Amino acid sequence: MEEHNYDTDATWKEVLLTDEGKVYIGVYVALMVLAASKFILFEAGIGYWGLFTGLMVMAAAKTALIVAYFQHLRWEPRILTYLYATSLFAVLLLMAAASYSIT
Amino acid sequence: MTETADSTDAHGSGGDDHGDDHDHLPGKYTVKRWLVTTNHKDIGILYILTSLFFFVFGGVLALLIRMQLWTPGEGLLSGFAYGQSVTAHGLLMVFFFLSPVAVGLANYIVPLQIGADDLAFPRLNALSYWLYLAAGGLFAVSFFQGGSFEGGWTLYAPLSVPTFTPEVGATSVMLALGMFVISVTLGSVNFLTTIHTMKADGMGLWNMPMFTWTVLLTIWMMLFAFAALLAAVYLLAADRIIASQYFLAEEGGSLLWGHLFWFFGHPEVYIVFFPALGVMLETFQTFSGRRLVGRKWVIIAMVLIAVQSFLVWMHHMFLTTINLEIKTIMMATTIAISLPFDLLVFAMIYTLVKGKVRFNTPFLFNLGALVLFIIGGITGVFLGAIVLDYEFRGTYWVVAHFHYVMVAGATALFGGLYYWYPKITGRMYDEFLGRLHFILYFIGFNAVYFSQFAVWEMPRRVFEYSTGLTLWNQIGTVGGFVLGASMFIMFYNFAKSLKTGPQVDGNPWKYSRTAEWSIPSPPPLENWTGVPSYESGKLEYVDRSPDGGHEEAHADHASIWPVLIAASTFVFFLGLSGISDVGPTGFEGVNTGYAAITGLGALALLGSAAGLGNERFLAPEQPYGMKWPFDGIEKTKLGTWFFLYSDVVVFGAVISAFIFIRIHMGWGEYETVGPNSMSGLLPEAMALPGLINTFVLVTSSFTIILALVFAKHQHKKGMLASMTATWVLGLTFMVVKYFEWAEKFDAGQGPSYAIEYSVYFVTTGLHGVHVVLGLLVLAFLIFKGYTGSYMKDHRAIENFGLYWHFVDIVWVFLFPLFYLL
Ligand code: HEM
Ligand SMILES: [Cu+2]
Repeated sequence: MEEHNYDTDATWKEVLLTDEGKVYIGVYVALMVLAASKFILFEAGIGYWGLFTGLMVMAAAKTALIVAYFQHLRWEPRILTYLYATSLFAVLLLMAAASYSIT
Repeated sequence: MTETADSTDAHGSGGDDHGDDHDHLPGKYTVKRWLVTTNHKDIGILYILTSLFFFVFGGVLALLIRMQLWTPGEGLLSGFAYGQSVTAHGLLMVFFFLSPVAVGLANYIVPLQIGADDLAFPRLNALSYWLYLAAGGLFAVSFFQGGSFEGGWTLYAPLSVPTFTPEVGATSVMLALGMFVISVTLGSVNFLTTIHTMKADGMGLWNMPMFTWTVLLTIWMMLFAFAALLAAVYLLAADRIIASQYFLAEEGGSLLWGHLFWFFGHPEVYIVFFPALGVMLETFQTFSGRRLVGRKWVIIAMVLIAVQSFLVWMHHMFLTTINLEIKTIMMATTIAISLPFDLLVFAMIYTLVKGKVRFNTPFLFNLGALVLFIIGGITGVFLGAIVLDYEFRGTYWVVAHFHYVMVAGATALFGGLYYWYPKITGRMYDEFLGRLHFILYFIGFNAVYFSQFAVWEMPRRVFEYSTGLTLWNQIGTVGGFVLGASMFIMFYNFAKSLKTGPQVDGNPWKYSRTAEWSIPSPPPLENWTGVPSYESGKLEYVDRSPDGGHEEAHADHASIWPVLIAASTFVFFLGLSGISDVGPTGFEGVNTGYAAITGLGALALLGSAAGLGNERFLAPEQPYGMKWPFDGIEKTKLGTWFFLYSDVVVFGAVISAFIFIRIHMGWGEYETVGPNSMSGLLPEAMALPGLINTFVLVTSSFTIILALVFAKHQHKKGMLASMTATWVLGLTFMVVKYFEWAEKFDAGQGPSYAIEYSVYFVTTGLHGVHVVLGLLVLAFLIFKGYTGSYMKDHRAIENFGLYWHFVDIVWVFLFPLFYLL
């Protein structure tokens, strides 16, 4: 646990508007906007694979926000992020190699 | 008060024999002690004894097999009984004996080798053990549910689906494996956290003893590999219980199973071998009086092997229809992985050549193991060549190969039991009986397994063979009985020596160097009298607490909840095994008797889990040691992360199954199931429930992080309000889900309707299960928060949040993949 000194008499509003609170609110807004704006892609006329790519990029962006801020890996030792990436890599390998094997 | 113990001549400076049976634990000769203990040494003993029980169980099955093979034709067993024997023998030996006996040694020895008081999470450790035992119990029950599984330990599809193996017992086997994997996952999280954060001050990764090194690498492989197995078993259980079609459908089927199983399976063969390797490395040093030659390179080679083990799995699929390019790649990686193994073998041989060897029993077993392993490894390289494997696949050559390597592992571990027997019991085993055991064992081993090379043309798992092979098979049968009988010499030796063996002090071996030998045998409950430290370059006990007392004097060692949780889980899974009647034609109804058992188990599980959560329990801490690269990460948070990494693999493997099936079918042919997907590339009311749920879940992620912020400011109302909001949002998610699913069921489109529906239900179902589990935990946290927790210590909220955000992330991908594309 961080050795922070938190204001323990803060009101609701004060807690929400601390620097930390503001960051989370900002991330939340960004996530909602990203989720809603998926549908713009459908109007963009980029075809199935364009849509596929677009949606996956958006999902990756949302994931990055959640991981960096809500799971606060941004402020943690890098090793936690690397290992997250390693497990992701392991399954992507399984996915890619298994799929490739039947082509 | 600074006692020193020279680590090379380690004579018991662990101090007075205080607290062998501390006031925190009932005495050693009471049943209660063994039900409530959370001490790593007790759990280690429980693991070892239980695994030996399963060894005998699996061994009896092996002898049944060998008796059947005495004659070329029909014999003692029916075809069904033979199939069950072969299958159960394999599963029990690999999962319920070989790994657990190593885990037992690791439990006992690793904390001692690294200077820790216990594992990082002692109650979790007890839970791992009890879940393992309960899983074995469920396996045993399977024989009485219309028959156990008969399709081989590899559970190859489609034999593993109800169309071909309709017995309830077969489902129990899958669920028993699932339970076992849960046990393994908890154990992995625990050992990783322990080894990475609880080493004595001054001990870095490089200085760790070799056994601890091999265990560490084993556990890392386990964390990822077993997660893939969990996913595979989850899909298989779904096929068997809710009649999904993963392994019956052509698009999934045997190839999909092959990939999922062997992605786990190849690392698994090193998982069972590595701890044995660790024992070899320890004993070779101790009994040759020489430090391991090329220690650094040995460690690097082992790390390489652990990584490479995930890159070769398709050498088990050379005879399937996967393409030649990938087969060739896998052949190359397979050959590449034998290179670091060569290095290990040479390092071991060199160490022995340079040292002065003493042929005590532990050494004999490990030397034998090395010889056997070399034979097994060489025959494996044959199998790694595609062209040769066309001949060998599915024959006794394979059987002989993997018995030489795997049972070589067991051989080293038996050596380990002899090696640490004096440490664990305080008495020396009988050396003559030990050597006799080895001689008979080695003869029996080679008779039974070498004869399998001789009959290499025989197809495996079939009991009829051509009459010309009778003699070799009979040699094998005789060898099997010799091997089996030799084990009783060990059991007798250990039982007898417990009473009459000469007493030993801390260290009976002249050249042992590791820390477990520096304390009395058996070690006192709390292991150390001071705080062990390597700061000065050798093991010392330093005094850090202000009043000179023992720092962890008040650590707890007893909890009844782990055994109760495991018992409840057993009941729950037993109920699941027969809850639905799935016949050759699919889902045929719910079995109310089994449903009642499931419900009962679920209730008991809730109760016992809450009991554990409510209990005050002080686990040991290690504030000083070297934790690189995990410095500064609090241990429960680190444990949560380790768990999440494995969960990434579980979900990833399930999603991989989906991608595989979709590609196999033809990407465009696949009809996305999500609501209104029929509306094509656009639309109005498109995928509305999925979209709503996306907003709901993202919002719940936001509220749970707010709960943490409020908790940090000790703003109780804000914290409770945010947690409650999260809970309500999670519930909303599940309600929407319910309507979405119900609509499909009403339309007659259940999991067996089409492969797309199987994939849709089973994948979103796994996510739903995660949400429900999260809601249960969160309800408990809200209750605790309400009654005053988390104002000072908000770790639980933070860790829960990490999990909840992860579940959110999974949805971020499931939504487009299952509803939009
Ligand atoms: C040293 C290098 C090794 C190589 C190159 C190798 C190669 C192979 C190959 C290619 C197969 C597949 C044969 C087939 O099914 O046709 C195989 C099977 C097997 N190997 Fe190895 N292996 C090695 C070491 C090990 C070790 C160390 C273990 C365990 C301790 C092991 C355990 C197994 C098992 C259990 C199977 C059979 C799986 C089944 O039931 O089908 N192998 N090996
Ligand atoms: Cu393999």
